[in-house]
Amino acid sequence: MSKELSRRELLKVLGAGSGLLLIHCGPVPPLPGTETDYDWEAHFWGYAIDTTKCIGCNACMRACRAENDVPEGVNRTWVERYRIDAHESVRVDIADKGDYVFEPVAGDVARAFFVPKICNHCEKSVCSQVCPVGASYMSKDGVVLVDHQRCIGCGYCVQACPYGTRYIDPRTHMADKCTLCYHRITRGLQPACVASCPTGARMFGDLKDPKSTLSTVLRQGRYRLLRPEMGTHPKCYYLGLDREVV
Amino acid sequence: MSGQLEKNDFRHTYRLIAVLVLFVVGAAFARWWAVPETFGQFGRYRGAAVASARTETVPRYVGEETCADCHEDQVELHDKDAHARVPCETCHGPGKEHAEAEGEAPIARPEGKGACLVCHQRLAARPGSFPQIEWREHYKFVGVADESVECTRCHDPHEPLYMDRDLRTARLHPMIHRCRDCHQGREDESLERPENHPPIFECSYCHGPIVEDFAGRTHASVRCTSCHIFFREDESTGRIIRDADPRFCLLCHRAADFRSDDAPPGIEWPAHREEMGTFPEDADKRCIDCHRENIHASEVSQ
Repeated sequence: MSKELSRRELLKVLGAGSGLLLIHCGPVPPLPGTETDYDWEAHFWGYAIDTTKCIGCNACMRACRAENDVPEGVNRTWVERYRIDAHESVRVDIADKGDYVFEPVAGDVARAFFVPKICNHCEKSVCSQVCPVGASYMSKDGVVLVDHQRCIGCGYCVQACPYGTRYIDPRTHMADKCTLCYHRITRGLQPACVASCPTGARMFGDLKDPKSTLSTVLRQGRYRLLRPEMGTHPKCYYLGLDREVV
Repeated sequence: MSGQLEKNDFRHTYRLIAVLVLFVVGAAFARWWAVPETFGQFGRYRGAAVASARTETVPRYVGEETCADCHEDQVELHDKDAHARVPCETCHGPGKEHAEAEGEAPIARPEGKGACLVCHQRLAARPGSFPQIEWREHYKFVGVADESVECTRCHDPHEPLYMDRDLRTARLHPMIHRCRDCHQGREDESLERPENHPPIFECSYCHGPIVEDFAGRTHASVRCTSCHIFFREDESTGRIIRDADPRFCLLCHRAADFRSDDAPPGIEWPAHREEMGTFPEDADKRCIDCHRENIHASEVSQ
């Protein structure tokens, strides 16, 4: 092996190797695979829920199931009914069986209300951080998604989520969750839960657009976040939330 | 040795370089084999997954505009009445298949009391300002004896209150009707007024003479807000609905086989109107144009 050849070979190999590496680091192309000219860097989606308007009809849950083919036994969004008696004892139930209808319950109630729950699409999402295979991620427009080709169903994300919004799909044994109806919002539609809410309790909008309804509502600052101490920076803003809800 | 380096003295360096080269090639191969295509394109995830998230599901909820393409009249009616804010597909379910088949594929038509009670069953957790009932109590109040009668015999789901009035142009009421936010009619509710109670804006606060006049007439037991329906829109505004078409009165006064003996007086419609000679020449005539004396004077000095 002569000295000159060895250097050439070395350069060739190094060149090929770094070429392979460079393939992964090119300029960022626009969002592929779509027929519309949707610019995902122009948006950052957020969500708000006015708990004083929720009537607990569960239309959101029905719409979510129909739109996203969510199997029985798990939920991407649900509505919690809080019943608090005079001694501040709290009872919470959900209606995710049968017709998803809340039935009247007997018993003393000092105050009662509904709290819709959904993935908070946290800016610093724990679920994405703990994923060992990079199957959970946040898109550039602020939606936490699951890559079903990468997920190995280890369930770390399900345990990590402080809001309990993830589940393992009993059919595919993979993690799944609310996508904020990514197939709808990137076509200019509202998520199915928002589109089906009869009282306007659920709001969806662009945090990057100062004129969006959501931004206008949030500018008033009269909202609360769920478990802000977790440092997850959730993007689901609650209006009129009772002090008992965390 | 005279300080001159022999060729063989570099052999250990060549070996080291060879090992490094092998390592780099091996690592590059391992990365190529283990890391999927487009991984890292946008971040620490597979770039192509974003496109699948957009395209692997197709929207099934098509929205009111699509419904209006064929059902324009129905949508227009719906937009005038109390259910204006309720999207079509909240009751009818996703409309994609129905719309694509141009109506050939069926759409859900919810039936039974349950379809209404899913929203209107009285629940402690429902906001007090939202209309909600115990249906047996309601049937008793309006004199329906037969419990098998469906809600839709009186209330058309598309225009449940027959308000002959576009919600968007209805009069904006300056007061906020907030009593029911706290007072939800529970049995254990205290009747003593606490010291820090907010000022009370009952209808009589501003409309005293009308309320007084009304108290002496046949409808005295009916609440103001049963006819002057108040829609709360947000924290500070609300709309009050006053005009209604004859079917609004018929909600209580329709003669029907399912009504009890002590029901409010029932009339045959539209026979009654023909009998009185106001039909069809005077089609715009409202019930209260003849029956004003039953409610309250239209002009009461304030």
